[in-house]
Amino acid sequence: MADLAVRNDPHVRPRLVEGDPSLHQVTEAVSSIIETRTPYSWWIAIAITASIAGVLKLCLGWLVYNGIGVWGNNQPIAWAWDITNFVFWIGIGHAGTLISAILFLFRQKWRTSINRFAEAMTLFAVACAGIFPLFHTGRPWRAYWLFPVPNTDLYMWPNFRSPLVWDVFAVSTYATVSALFWYVGLVPDLATIRDRAKTKGRKIAYGVLSLGWRGSARHWRNYEMAYLVLAGISTPLVLSVHSVVSFDFAASLLPGWHTTIFPPYFVAGAIFSGFAMVVTLMVVARWVFKVEHLVTMKHLENMNKIMLATGTVVGYAYASEFFIAWYSGNPYEKFTFLNRAFGPYWWAYTLMVSCNVISPQFFWFKKLRTSIPFMFVISLVVNVGMWFERFVIIGTSLHRDFMPSAWGYYHPTIIDMLTFFGTFGLFLTLFLLFLRFLPMIAVSEVKGMMATQKMHDAHLEAVAQAVEH
Amino acid sequence: MIQIKTKQTGKKYWRSLDQLAQTPAFMEWLHREFPSSAEEVIDGASRRNVLKLMAASFGLAGLTACRRPVEHILPNVKGVEDYIPGKPYFYATAMVHNGVAQGLLAEVNDGRPTKIEGNPEHPFSLGAANVFQQAAILGLYDPDRARSPRQDGKDVDWKVLDDALKTLSGSLGQGDGLRFLSESVTSPSFAAVQAAALAKFPKAKWIQYDAISQDEVRAGSQLAFGQQLVVRPRFDKAKVILALDSDFLGLDADTVLSVKEFSRGRKVAAETDEMSRLYVVESRFSTTGATADHRIKMRASEIKAFVSDLAAALKVGGNELKVVGQGDKKSKWIEAVAKDLGANRGKGLVVAGPRQPAAVHAMVHLINQALGNAGETVTYYKSTLEQTRPQLEAIAELAGELSKGQVSTLVILGGNPAYSAPVDLDLAANIKKVATSIYVGLDVDETAVACKWSIAEAHFLESWGDALAPDGTATIQQPMIAPLYYGRTQAEIVAALTGYKDQRPYDIVRNYWTAKFAKGDADKLWRHALHDGVIPNTTFAEVKPVVDAKKVNGAIQPAAQSASGMELVFTPNWATWDGRFANNGWLQEIPEPMSKITWDNAALVSPATAKQLGLSTHGWMVKGYKATDTEGHSDPTQAGNFVDMIQIEVDGRTLEAPVFVQPGQADGSITLALGYGRTECGHVAKGAGVNAYKLRTSKAPWIVADAKVSKIAKQYQIVQTQEHGTMEDRPLLRESTLAEYRKEPNVIKEMLEVPELVGLYGDWDYSKGNQWGMTIDLNACVGCNACTIACQAENNIPIVGKDQVNRGREMHWIRMDRYFVGDEEEPQAVMSPVPCMQCETAPCENVCPVAATTHSPEGLNDMAYNRCVGTRYCSNNCPYKVRRFNFLAWNYGTPEVEMMKFNPDVTVRMRGVMEKCTYCVQRIQETKIQAKLEGHRPIKDGEIQTACQQTCPADAIVFGNINDPNSGVSKLKKQKRNYGMLEELNTKPRTTYLAKLRNTNEELEAKHG
Repeated sequence: MADLAVRNDPHVRPRLVEGDPSLHQVTEAVSSIIETRTPYSWWIAIAITASIAGVLKLCLGWLVYNGIGVWGNNQPIAWAWDITNFVFWIGIGHAGTLISAILFLFRQKWRTSINRFAEAMTLFAVACAGIFPLFHTGRPWRAYWLFPVPNTDLYMWPNFRSPLVWDVFAVSTYATVSALFWYVGLVPDLATIRDRAKTKGRKIAYGVLSLGWRGSARHWRNYEMAYLVLAGISTPLVLSVHSVVSFDFAASLLPGWHTTIFPPYFVAGAIFSGFAMVVTLMVVARWVFKVEHLVTMKHLENMNKIMLATGTVVGYAYASEFFIAWYSGNPYEKFTFLNRAFGPYWWAYTLMVSCNVISPQFFWFKKLRTSIPFMFVISLVVNVGMWFERFVIIGTSLHRDFMPSAWGYYHPTIIDMLTFFGTFGLFLTLFLLFLRFLPMIAVSEVKGMMATQKMHDAHLEAVAQAVEH
Repeated sequence: MIQIKTKQTGKKYWRSLDQLAQTPAFMEWLHREFPSSAEEVIDGASRRNVLKLMAASFGLAGLTACRRPVEHILPNVKGVEDYIPGKPYFYATAMVHNGVAQGLLAEVNDGRPTKIEGNPEHPFSLGAANVFQQAAILGLYDPDRARSPRQDGKDVDWKVLDDALKTLSGSLGQGDGLRFLSESVTSPSFAAVQAAALAKFPKAKWIQYDAISQDEVRAGSQLAFGQQLVVRPRFDKAKVILALDSDFLGLDADTVLSVKEFSRGRKVAAETDEMSRLYVVESRFSTTGATADHRIKMRASEIKAFVSDLAAALKVGGNELKVVGQGDKKSKWIEAVAKDLGANRGKGLVVAGPRQPAAVHAMVHLINQALGNAGETVTYYKSTLEQTRPQLEAIAELAGELSKGQVSTLVILGGNPAYSAPVDLDLAANIKKVATSIYVGLDVDETAVACKWSIAEAHFLESWGDALAPDGTATIQQPMIAPLYYGRTQAEIVAALTGYKDQRPYDIVRNYWTAKFAKGDADKLWRHALHDGVIPNTTFAEVKPVVDAKKVNGAIQPAAQSASGMELVFTPNWATWDGRFANNGWLQEIPEPMSKITWDNAALVSPATAKQLGLSTHGWMVKGYKATDTEGHSDPTQAGNFVDMIQIEVDGRTLEAPVFVQPGQADGSITLALGYGRTECGHVAKGAGVNAYKLRTSKAPWIVADAKVSKIAKQYQIVQTQEHGTMEDRPLLRESTLAEYRKEPNVIKEMLEVPELVGLYGDWDYSKGNQWGMTIDLNACVGCNACTIACQAENNIPIVGKDQVNRGREMHWIRMDRYFVGDEEEPQAVMSPVPCMQCETAPCENVCPVAATTHSPEGLNDMAYNRCVGTRYCSNNCPYKVRRFNFLAWNYGTPEVEMMKFNPDVTVRMRGVMEKCTYCVQRIQETKIQAKLEGHRPIKDGEIQTACQQTCPADAIVFGNINDPNSGVSKLKKQKRNYGMLEELNTKPRTTYLAKLRNTNEELEAKHG
């Protein structure tokens, strides 16, 4: 009785794990996904996504064989879908790192059910993103010149003043650190799978991957320390990587690009789109794999709240850009923004604003932010909007800049579209592989959090009983 | 001795000695000489070897007749006595264009010409060359050129042709039924061949016809002076110029000298300098109209009434001329112009364009005479190569004879008349009625296909010949390379046919001139002529004629009634001229200066006419950011550049043409360029444009007064390099008036308020050594695009084709910007070349991740092609958008013969790398090396000329060392007109501009704000 009253009390934190399962039941729920026979639906799904990824491969091959001309890029719009896609995918990755690292440092317990999943999403998103800086070059077989590696061709360093070189450092750091962090977090869970393994092959594979984890106190102590350090390193990356990506534009002199608001604006936008992608994927995955009790409505609601917050920041950024364009008195700046809103790309701009500014505002209403179908739709809408935001920034600033004689227009070609479409295939293929072979929820972390929750429950019970008497 | 048959040229060797060994002749010889061993040899296994050995010695014996006779050509002074491989040599020659000689120098690298320049020694070139001359190199190496003679549509051997010509010449008798059809004869040696031919065959006739003819000009001269005279305007001497439908700075210029002379009068060094004033009246917006200080648009057929009104206002002629009501605007204009001309007696000049009827030309002569301009700003010469009758009349008569079957032998020498002759003469069909029709032409074109015989002509760069400048100055054409396909010159064919005393082109030309060099050493004079590119003392006699005023007034009297139909005006064009250069990709891709259309022609209509016809106007003057302007005009790019089409009907013949709305086009008048829509042509020309010749009759070859026009439900894709027409109130191409500039010289600099510019990295020290800079004088530039194409030729810049230009990927390193200014009714335009600015603080250099673009210590922004990975960040960061990316492999698949056009001093870029203007760094380096070799001497000002500078007819581009205070470029940069484009971005451009000043007439000032 008192139990229920406590549970429904809004001042009391809702359950992060519902149904009060035992620790073993939690392990079982997650590990069984990997251990049972591959369902047919998985095979069908991966067949589809792999063929879409195959389309990507074909498009990239065609691109390298013929040249950038198979895309719609031209003079003056030398960057278009290629860099839009790059920023889109990198942005999506930021949610994972925020959940893993920043929420860890802020001791947000609810992160434990979603962090593994989100971090995997980050890695795959970065993999998709990394395709574009490589292949958007005119001579991709020489793209290694962007790296400060000894090269026998020209004995030259890259130009460290260029934001693209900063990108190289930022993105490779991001990929490396994210991978490390993710892997370190995986080790106890991989050990669990190893211990439960029935076949020799599985035992060896997971055994190698789990690096001989024994679950001893020493191991746990080292693990916690490593995790904390990596979380500490990853945290600034959430802010720095996308800031550096934004420098690609902010460090140039084009009106519409050359603005100091870009770093925070881009970072907010990245988190925004990242969370939207996590929600999209999570809503489906938790239902398919029946882990709704581990990834509860609370988790989804929190993510929606973050979306609301970052979406509002993005909306604020749009407004302040417009304001500053007018306030600055710079005719080129003013023109760029009026052109964005009312010029030949007005439709892209309208899409961007309605998807990014208006749609997250619905999450003020609890009813809407706890409605599964609604949040799924909004998360898709947000990602569409965020793609268009990058396209608007890149395309409209380039197509009409300083000299009207150079003004042009950009039409994507079928190869542009198929390449982008293909990256989704790659992303989802990697994701399906992850779901099939690796524990999608950080079981050890959930169990650790459950212990704390149990302690908390016991304490509340004692308090409630004290109140009753 | 066995006669082993070789071809006349000695080219056909045996594919293998086996082949020789198998010939019956050899076998017979073998048997005779070595009867015993022959058996053995033939049967034995060693047969092959023996035969081979024997055959080899025979083979070599047969080569005696193969060598060509030696003909010496002579290089211009820039060469060195002994040939050094890799060093270019310059030879003088001439190109015939628009009926006159254009003096040229050809840069020859290792035995093949790779670049054309103007000949500084030639009085009508003075070192400059226009687009057609610069593009001639590509015409030489055109892979689609005719390569052999053809008989009945099949390729045959030269021997077959020679035999046929021999047979034919024997059967011509007195020349009954023999007709020659050529373009205007402008070569004295060829005229001698012509004269000899007509003397030998007295019943034969020679018809001269140019598609772009000067018939009306000659008729006007005949009307005014009673004799055919060559009119030579002196634009540098004129202070006030009125151009009536005369694009004398553009398409109607006979040589580049018009531009050179005109621009001399436009350069304003100090505020106190004088400037000429140009008034233009025309139906289409030409580059001359863009350069004008005052311009009004007028239908071409109304100019006759205009000039008679002008004469009345000037009180010229004596008759009381009725002032035909032109409306307030025009009469105010006429008054002001008349006043100006009247105030500048002897320093004014009125010119009329070749499309205007004879009466207009005659009246113009009368006006010039009355104003005292004759002999001062315009001089007259008596040509030694006069046309005996109007060309239209002659060709119409020929067409009549052809249709009646009265012609048995027709020799057509160039010009492609089956395509370009008036359509009502139906020449293509009539030629087929001739028993023996022979065509000498560069391409397998419409005429070649219609004739029984077509002969591959030698390009002028492969030929011996000569040509006369407008004032009669003669130039010898010497070949730069042996004919690539053994082509023949026109003179050679006529000589062969008519048994002229000289058969080889070299002999024809040389013997003619050495006979003319009466005194002195003929050989020496010949060598000098080849070396200089001019033959001294060959100018025509100057005449001081008197105009027959009564006759002129009588001709002009019945003023043209304003026709009810639409006016249609034909013009030549900047790409194909009259159709002959249709297969020249460089020219096709050069945008038409005012409309910026490439690869097509279009019917140009004014916005008002378009509205009247219900055509979409694609707002040209769309201002600002809106997708559509207030009247709903849309931005053409967004629509994929599709325009409406119209059907034009003239005399029952129809043509479907795309429509292009052109600001400044006269209402009720359509301009359609000739020379497109070729059918028998190379692969480059296929599909380009519509054939306006289909509407061009002998009754109205230039101006059709009553065309019927209706909209049709088709669309056409028109591709431009620049779609946006207005400068959006940005101070990019700054312009003021001379009066304002004199009042306040800082007006140009004050057009932009720039705060103090501070850089992040501190300033570089550029005080030592050579520092290269450039100025471009907007007052001089006439927008002819010669710089663009010279750059293309010099720097191996590829063409990309219509589809890729539509996608915005044209590769021109220097582009010509054109902006409309002023009101929509009577707009003005300003043109400017925009190359790489070579910024001292270049935004592109910072952002290249691999440092492929860096700064040289001499101030150049260098581009290292082999380091570029192609991220294109530099292009994004360039505010001038002058960088060009190789999106696809443009140079891949270039036919081998066309590869000869490449300048060996410049890399040919592969796909995926960025390129841009380099200040012709190859020329800078060559001169630096030369200076170093000559003892580390300093480089003289003017020693290095960039390709664009060298060819510019207006001398608008000046390049040099800005560290030298006495260099031309330094002095120009000190002018108050000097400004840097987008200098507020702190790019510190090395290329700066001298603002345009219009010398406005205060009385007309109010109109043009």
